[in-house]
Amino acid sequence: MKKLTLLFILLFMKTALAHDMVPTYPELRLSYMSNVLVADLELLNKRNDIEYYEISVFDETWNPVPFVTSYKIIKLEYLERIKFNVYIRSSDKNRATYICSKSRTRGNPNPSAVISSMICSKFKKDE
Amino acid sequence: MYKKLFLSIIFSLGTVGAFAVDVPISGNVQSRCIITTDTPGVYGNPNAYTLTTATADGGVLPVVRYDVTLADAYYAEITTPTAFSDSPSLSDTVTWTGSTEVQSLSDATGMGSYETNKVTFGQTTQYDLTASGSTWFKSTSTATYGGSKAFPGGTYTANIEAICVAK
Repeated sequence: MKKLTLLFILLFMKTALAHDMVPTYPELRLSYMSNVLVADLELLNKRNDIEYYEISVFDETWNPVPFVTSYKIIKLEYLERIKFNVYIRSSDKNRATYICSKSRTRGNPNPSAVISSMICSKFKKDE
Repeated sequence: MYKKLFLSIIFSLGTVGAFAVDVPISGNVQSRCIITTDTPGVYGNPNAYTLTTATADGGVLPVVRYDVTLADAYYAEITTPTAFSDSPSLSDTVTWTGSTEVQSLSDATGMGSYETNKVTFGQTTQYDLTASGSTWFKSTSTATYGGSKAFPGGTYTANIEAICVAK
């Protein structure tokens, strides 16, 4: 019985380490500033080995596109969810293609292959 | 007299009970791609000049799971390391090899072609996630120190990059 209880505890102790960002296709809408567009995104940290995520915006060929957000590197505790806005110049509207969040890893005391995760959403384009 | 009182109490209780039944539950379902670190990798050290995640050499293969809720909307790209992110000072070159393959699938029919249709360029392997569900990918990574010299003592960390890109 004790072994069975221990097995159950071990099974339920195994935590999922996930990185999640939505929406997959964010929409750029007018912001309160002229010539600046904004997109709304949400990031969820279910990785207990990660505390920081870096936000980036790229064009179709993965060149960086200038953008502004509250924090380019977001501190996110385990199981914390954050809504954030990304501001882009109207002139970059057709250029900006991907918005990505990438986990930032820290040094590890064991010889290890750390998995860094990156999720890239794609801006909705006008038809 | 008592009968009327009894009935009025019963009805009033019933009325109070009716107020407590409607509990709305709301939710928002969105298409998404979730990257989950199923098994973090560990480098084994079978000899002085090699670090490898191969199980036979005392390592642990890193396993990444991709969960997608929308079919044909994402690419999975996994890149094995080409440099250490943390290591002692190294005076010689390090040669890197690595590969990624599908470990298991939640939908063997819809995802059966993932492994045969994968595209590899350099250390990166790209999969077209044409079906919704979960896919587990395992990677191997090996670092060999130049001229079969011994790696200096210390801790070594390398990053495997798992990317999910919307199509």
